[in-house]
Amino acid sequence: MNQGVRRRTAGRVVAPLLTVAVVLGVWEAWVRLAGVPEFVLPAPSQVARTAVEVAPLLGPHVATTLTEAAAGLVVGTVAGLLLSILVTASRVTGDAVYPLVVLTQTVPVVVLAPLMILWAGFGLLPKIVLVALTVFFPVLVSAVGAMRAVDAEHADMVAGLGGTRLDQFLLVRLPASIPGALAGLRVAATYAVGAAVVAEYLAGQSGLGVFVQRSRKAYAVDQIFVGVVLIALLSGLFFALVAMLTRVATPWQRGKP
Amino acid sequence: MSVLAAHGLGVRFGDVVALDGVDLEVADGEFVAVVGPSGCGKSTLLRAFGGMLPPGAAVSGTLRLPTLPDGGRATAWMPQRDGLLPWRRAWSNALLGARIARVPRADAEARAADLFERFGLAGFERAWPHELSGGMRQRLALLRTCLAGRPVLLLDEPFGALDPITRRRMNEWLAGVGLTGGAPAVGQQRAVVLVTHDVDEALTLADRVVVLSARPGRVALDATAPTRDEILTALDPLPR
Repeated sequence: MNQGVRRRTAGRVVAPLLTVAVVLGVWEAWVRLAGVPEFVLPAPSQVARTAVEVAPLLGPHVATTLTEAAAGLVVGTVAGLLLSILVTASRVTGDAVYPLVVLTQTVPVVVLAPLMILWAGFGLLPKIVLVALTVFFPVLVSAVGAMRAVDAEHADMVAGLGGTRLDQFLLVRLPASIPGALAGLRVAATYAVGAAVVAEYLAGQSGLGVFVQRSRKAYAVDQIFVGVVLIALLSGLFFALVAMLTRVATPWQRGKP
Repeated sequence: MSVLAAHGLGVRFGDVVALDGVDLEVADGEFVAVVGPSGCGKSTLLRAFGGMLPPGAAVSGTLRLPTLPDGGRATAWMPQRDGLLPWRRAWSNALLGARIARVPRADAEARAADLFERFGLAGFERAWPHELSGGMRQRLALLRTCLAGRPVLLLDEPFGALDPITRRRMNEWLAGVGLTGGAPAVGQQRAVVLVTHDVDEALTLADRVVVLSARPGRVALDATAPTRDEILTALDPLPR
């Protein structure tokens, strides 16, 4: 790594941190100087204090939301991959499935939440289903895109060596779908926590969504901010995990310009 | 006895006649080059030999393709572009040929180790395809095709995408490797058919040169060890 690159990397870390510090500073100063009431907008320092206070309460909520988001992400990814195989397997199955799948996306998933709760109760299951419903689509679309983009060159190569359609699928299309599916998963990962939280808004006994709703009813705006920050952190965590997974799963793309 | 034969072979794609009345026999142990201008149907001829014509092609005449004792296909076809899978290292890309042809893995690995040496790829077994030079990628693709262990190799402009200097070096190398006969590990092939638009490539590599006319492709010359002039005259019959 030469010095220019190092300076660039430092800039990428330092510059956004500086921006955040400035925004927080302005916020803090404005709240204090203008005397904004706490139930409208608490100062960052107040949010931080509250965070420390409520920290012991948060463990189970975070655990619930994390479980829902992670399980939903796994279920949704598997479903998206399986569907992408079905869509690309043949023209007939593609025509039979793909337009319908795209059509389902005209219904925002959140709208389905009351139905899910009616059918699956107030526990984890309806939330996992909702997260999975949110997640499978980006995975499906990117995986299908990657499989369809497989060069005729590669399929020809397999056929030229006497390979069957199954060989083409197992050796070329399936592995080609992995980077695509991972790109979709990266988008999906950022939705997963949000979808779980929205589902919790509607019903549930535990979870960050429940915590935020309870705080709202108590006019504890500082607690809402604590919830929001946590949700953002969890989303970031998921994103980072998927980025790591991508690195491990696609070693040939490392060090490529 | 020929290993591969076409008699009065015609191939049409809708209204386009790609090949018309082509007669060609390839004998055991032969290295045949098919030369012709772009679009003359030479790649179509090779695809016909490989049993790889697209579904829309209308074929007339007779075509005798080689088969293995078990009735399977006895040709291995190599496309112009290398077709290496970016997610497999060089070694694993090479073994793909053996895997698709259902060659036992232990046999294939032993042969691959030898061929990596001969093809000048030793030490690059763990390289990703994008880390290899154009010439190395083509050699690796050829190695993969050889590892399928098929008696007949069909090469469609294997070095067509390379720069002229690398291409010439590749040709000298390939002529020395002895794909047919000679070196036993490489020369499991009983015949090679090479398609090219490069006259010198054909002269360097092949025992026999077949010249196809411009579309629709017909055999304009079929000669063993022809001179350069003979080929050029057949390619461009108009008086100069």
